[in-house]
Amino acid sequence: MSQHTEHKGGHGHHPDYKKIYFVLLGLLVVSILGPEIGIVWVTLITAFGIALVKANLVVQNFMHLRWEKRIMKWMLATSVVLMFLFFAGTAPDVMKHEGHRWINDSALAATARGIEAPHHEGEAAAQEHAAGVAQDGAAATEAPAEQAFDAKGAFGTVCATCHGPTGAGNGPGAAALNPKPANFGDAAFWEGKTDESLVKVIREGGASVGKSALMPAWGGLYNEAQAKALVAYIRTFKK
Amino acid sequence: MQKPIATTRSATGIPTGRLAIWWVLASEVVIFGGLLASYLMFRLGHPEWGNAAAVTNTYLGAFNTFVLLSSSFTAVLAHQAAENGDGKLAAKYLLMTIAGAVIFLVVKGFEWSYEISHGYTITSNGFWAFYYTAAGLHAAHVIAGAIIMAFIAAAAAKGRELHRVELIGIYWHFVDVVWIFLFPLLYIAK
Repeated sequence: MSQHTEHKGGHGHHPDYKKIYFVLLGLLVVSILGPEIGIVWVTLITAFGIALVKANLVVQNFMHLRWEKRIMKWMLATSVVLMFLFFAGTAPDVMKHEGHRWINDSALAATARGIEAPHHEGEAAAQEHAAGVAQDGAAATEAPAEQAFDAKGAFGTVCATCHGPTGAGNGPGAAALNPKPANFGDAAFWEGKTDESLVKVIREGGASVGKSALMPAWGGLYNEAQAKALVAYIRTFKK
Repeated sequence: MQKPIATTRSATGIPTGRLAIWWVLASEVVIFGGLLASYLMFRLGHPEWGNAAAVTNTYLGAFNTFVLLSSSFTAVLAHQAAENGDGKLAAKYLLMTIAGAVIFLVVKGFEWSYEISHGYTITSNGFWAFYYTAAGLHAAHVIAGAIIMAFIAAAAAKGRELHRVELIGIYWHFVDVVWIFLFPLLYIAK
């Protein structure tokens, strides 16, 4: 008989489920069509705004939360608040790649790698890329990564963090550093510098040539040819 | 058979089974919420993940959203039938819900085998690690829900334990809600 006693506790509220179902399907269609317009904020609203509306419809009507006792709502609200607390506490460290006294080298490197070579991990993309290189004929022997390497872009996303967008040694990361990052516009910097020594600094770090260890080793990110391309690029800052 | 007293006693005024399922869901909110919040912060900090997200198939994701919404609809109809005391009808609707779960998993299987065969695996990069973890944890919930639902449908067909139809329904709608958020996060935002 227990199920009868349990049922007395049941709410017996049944809204028009069919109507709610069709509203949900309509919202789904809108969320698919949203990105077709091609405006970012429209996509964000149609994707995430509608997800919130859909979730609310399901939770209130299908799960009957609107007829549930208040204690249940507080219980769920606590979980949601904990989730936001987690996000607020963790997100600044993850979303930002540099701060007053720290730089997340590997995150910066990952971002730079990702932008340089999208689908890098995809076999299909790699084959496509290889096919494209093969069409080039003469270039077919070179590695695809070197083909696509954009020294200016790499400088902008990785090096500029400390060395500044114009190579003046005044990037956002520079404030926390002592000694200060090299200023490529300074003629004194270039005295006695060879391509080889600069490639060594880029790939093996400042300490490898007796300079500051605050200049990290980027050998894992840039091969010899790419480091050479970077050297050629920073030479353009020389006044 | 004598029932444990906890199933008939209720200090909160909420039936014990329903209170228990909401407790489960409150902890699930933190599990999935923590996972999705982590995904979101990494996604915002790494614009290059958009390149990886562009590989996922929006239309398959949308189709699966449709399947889950429909299965939620049949789950709530099962609940209504159970409250009206019609165990046979409730069982029928639960079977339709299980069918939705199976369709969802088959589509997921096609998607994953396509992606894995093209070299996008859980170790490819951060995006794919989150993709397989979040969708995999969700799929595990779909599988578990469908199995429990089969037991409840079998009992309901004989008119037994009809209140459980509502409880599995609440769980099932939650699994639907998680997918409602996974769909834009993994498929729409490129």
